[in-house]
Amino acid sequence: MKNTKLSQPEIEPKGAPVVENSSSRRSFLGRLGLGALLTGLAGQLFAFLRALMPNVLYEAPRSFKIGTPDSFAHGITYLQDHRLFIGRDQHGLYAISAICTHLGCTVKPVNLNQPRAVQVAGKLVEIAQEFHCPCHGSKYYGDGTNYDGPAPRPLDWYRLELSPDDGQILVNTSEAVKHDFRLNA
Amino acid sequence: MKLKEHWETLTWTWNPKSLRESSDSVVRNLLLHWFPAKVSRESLSFRYSFWLGTITAVLFFILCVTGFVLMFLYVPSVERAYPSLKDIEFVASFGRFTRALHRICAHLMVVAVFLHMMRAFLTAAYKNGLGAQQNRPVNWIIGVILLLLTLLLSFTGYLLPWDQLAYWAITVGTNIARAVPWIGEQIRFALLGGNEIDQNTLLRFYVLHCFVLPGVVLLLFSWHMWRVRKDGGLACVDKLARDQKQKTSATIRAKTYSLLGITSGHNVHVQTSYIDEDEHLVESSPNLTRRLLLVTLATLFLTSLLAYVVRAPLEAAANPLVTPNPAKAPWYFLWLQELVADTTIHMGSYTISGAFVGGVLVPGLLVAVLAAWPYLDRTSANATGVWFAKERHQQNMMFLAIVFVVILLTFVGTFMRGPSWHLYWPWQTWPETPTRF
Repeated sequence: MKNTKLSQPEIEPKGAPVVENSSSRRSFLGRLGLGALLTGLAGQLFAFLRALMPNVLYEAPRSFKIGTPDSFAHGITYLQDHRLFIGRDQHGLYAISAICTHLGCTVKPVNLNQPRAVQVAGKLVEIAQEFHCPCHGSKYYGDGTNYDGPAPRPLDWYRLELSPDDGQILVNTSEAVKHDFRLNA
Repeated sequence: MKLKEHWETLTWTWNPKSLRESSDSVVRNLLLHWFPAKVSRESLSFRYSFWLGTITAVLFFILCVTGFVLMFLYVPSVERAYPSLKDIEFVASFGRFTRALHRICAHLMVVAVFLHMMRAFLTAAYKNGLGAQQNRPVNWIIGVILLLLTLLLSFTGYLLPWDQLAYWAITVGTNIARAVPWIGEQIRFALLGGNEIDQNTLLRFYVLHCFVLPGVVLLLFSWHMWRVRKDGGLACVDKLARDQKQKTSATIRAKTYSLLGITSGHNVHVQTSYIDEDEHLVESSPNLTRRLLLVTLATLFLTSLLAYVVRAPLEAAANPLVTPNPAKAPWYFLWLQELVADTTIHMGSYTISGAFVGGVLVPGLLVAVLAAWPYLDRTSANATGVWFAKERHQQNMMFLAIVFVVILLTFVGTFMRGPSWHLYWPWQTWPETPTRF
């Protein structure tokens, strides 16, 4: 295309010649400028996006007191404000989250007419209640083990401690524990 | 008499008296300048496009107008959002109608965009034809992004009433984001502005819903329309050109209206043999504008009527402590929720969460394949702009099968899932009060 088009001699334009030379000062400055602009924009973008990630959360504390141990009878107690089940058996107290591990709905406790023995991880466990999720039909045994529905894993268990100052139970929902955890109180 | 003259100087572009005035009006009127001077009858026909893209655009503009009004009445704060909704429903004049219109248009826009996408697929409108400088695949991808943006717009708007319906739909929806491998927690944290749905979340969704997403939609919509012009109009025009080429080999009397078409290397002949002007083309003003206004009127009338009849629901104020039973995502995500609830796979001690399969993997793959389809479709340009082209039979059937499954799952999720996600027939009564969407 280039060769066929022009029969007259090519005329160099007057003024500053546009030289396609990668090592020239002009192109260096050009790329420096473009690089500075892009770096500046990227930095700004990062700053703006970072500003959207909160550094302080005004949410309910992850660890809180729930009263003295003697206020929890044998069986399961539901603490609605914390979406938490507090259970007591012959070994002590334990806490199970009421938040379904599938998509975060609150599971409902269902008391069985009579306790039954179920197989959990090869061991026989006697359960008196189950937890059912209203959203997608996940079902858990009383110890939080999922056995039916889309739930991918058991309900979380949280660490319980006795607060040294007033003897109340302290729940720490940021620390998950195993299913044999008990607080002797 | 004087008044009439003034009126005519203002309105003659919409009602030209001669061919000269007709082509002038496209040049002189800002609103009309993005139309070509002449347009093919075929692309104005209802039976080819059903005008679904236009309907979508009209719905979007109704949503903008009603949205602006609602912005003056709504307060995006956790304490005041729900009471301001009550004010809109029960105190503000025509507040209930405005909100109902906004809601019905939002739902219908999801439907219209989806149908528009189906039309484009079934007519292979994403394929290039004979015209120069066509790049329809790009416009198809813009369309797919617009479809996703429409869903996002609807989803972000869902939280704003701050009632039980809103709160739990967003709980379920944002927990699906958590199922993304490795960065799921971070995505959810960024989306919510914390670990819980709270003030941060409400404000985020509000800004996205009222400013960011509509802005992006407007930009992409402009690009979409500009590309339609660059691609030589709707794909059915390419079919006309093809038929013409077979019928006659003589050069057809036609003009090029685009100097741009000449400058970048394509010679005039490509443009002149495009389609027969006398046979197929009519003046855009008033032929295109008349239909455009007719479609606008019909859309406005139908949605207003629906808004008058169908009230927007408002449930009890959001309560993070009480999960309604059943808790459902917005209806257009219920096919995903259905997948989410059905696709958890247990293999011994190893579990693949349904939230990942149904909420991330399947929709992600579907969107990726959808966007890439113009590049995967190997059929010839003869299929461009033809409803159910024979050589595309297989892919059309596959597409329709997927659409059918999506609609079926949506139907099951919407009408057949009762408390605890048990199956009920639509005519069966649930043991507890049903939750509306």
